[in-house]
Amino acid sequence: MRKTDILDVMSRKLAPFVMLFGFYLVANGHLSPGGGFQGGVVIASAVILLLLAQEAGSVTTSFPLTALSVAESAALFVFISVGIVGLLAAGAFLSVFLPLGSGTTVLDSGFIFVLNLVIGVKVGAGITLICFHILEAH
Amino acid sequence: MTVRNRHGSVWKKVVASSLLLFLVAATGVLFLDAYRAAPASNPEARTEKRYIVDNAKRETGAENLVTSIYLGYRAFDTLGETIVLLMAVAGVVRLASAGSGVRKKP
Repeated sequence: MRKTDILDVMSRKLAPFVMLFGFYLVANGHLSPGGGFQGGVVIASAVILLLLAQEAGSVTTSFPLTALSVAESAALFVFISVGIVGLLAAGAFLSVFLPLGSGTTVLDSGFIFVLNLVIGVKVGAGITLICFHILEAH
Repeated sequence: MTVRNRHGSVWKKVVASSLLLFLVAATGVLFLDAYRAAPASNPEARTEKRYIVDNAKRETGAENLVTSIYLGYRAFDTLGETIVLLMAVAGVVRLASAGSGVRKKP
């Protein structure tokens, strides 16, 4: 398929805002509808928009496959580590060990914010990896 | 002949669409009925809901009750879901790159 200038320019303008909205969904997952899974998919959709509308080489240099794989694996490692820290600090796997705040701001919500960030990174990297491989961008 | 055929296929489509619409509507009505009847017939569900609404924000620190369930009370289940996603990604990577030089041995 031929990539036109309109596609190129519009995807470059649109993708940062899509990605920003994804990070907003992830960061506000404990306050408003959204969360790690939904925000991660929105982040991945920004990368897929770039992938579909531009040449494959420019996207895979910005988001290399090895970095995505490492992010996918490291996020699961961080999730399990948070669970083990909860086991050591509070007596049960994945139990709350950070002090709970009022729960009305983004950073003030114990470890749910951490888990949402981790899941957002993991889902974003995973869906992007799947689409890279299905669309054969590598 | 062709006109009658096209006419007949249109009627078939109309009948099929209305049947599908009826099925969807009937399923919706049934589920709505079950959803309305559930709290009255199941007092435990009502107390669980009341407990979560009252205590979830204090116990997990999340104002969004859905998040307080899937990352607070049921975080272990979410860990399983992320592992499922990891397995799916691994399978897609393996299958999609199967023909591109991974298998070198004859």
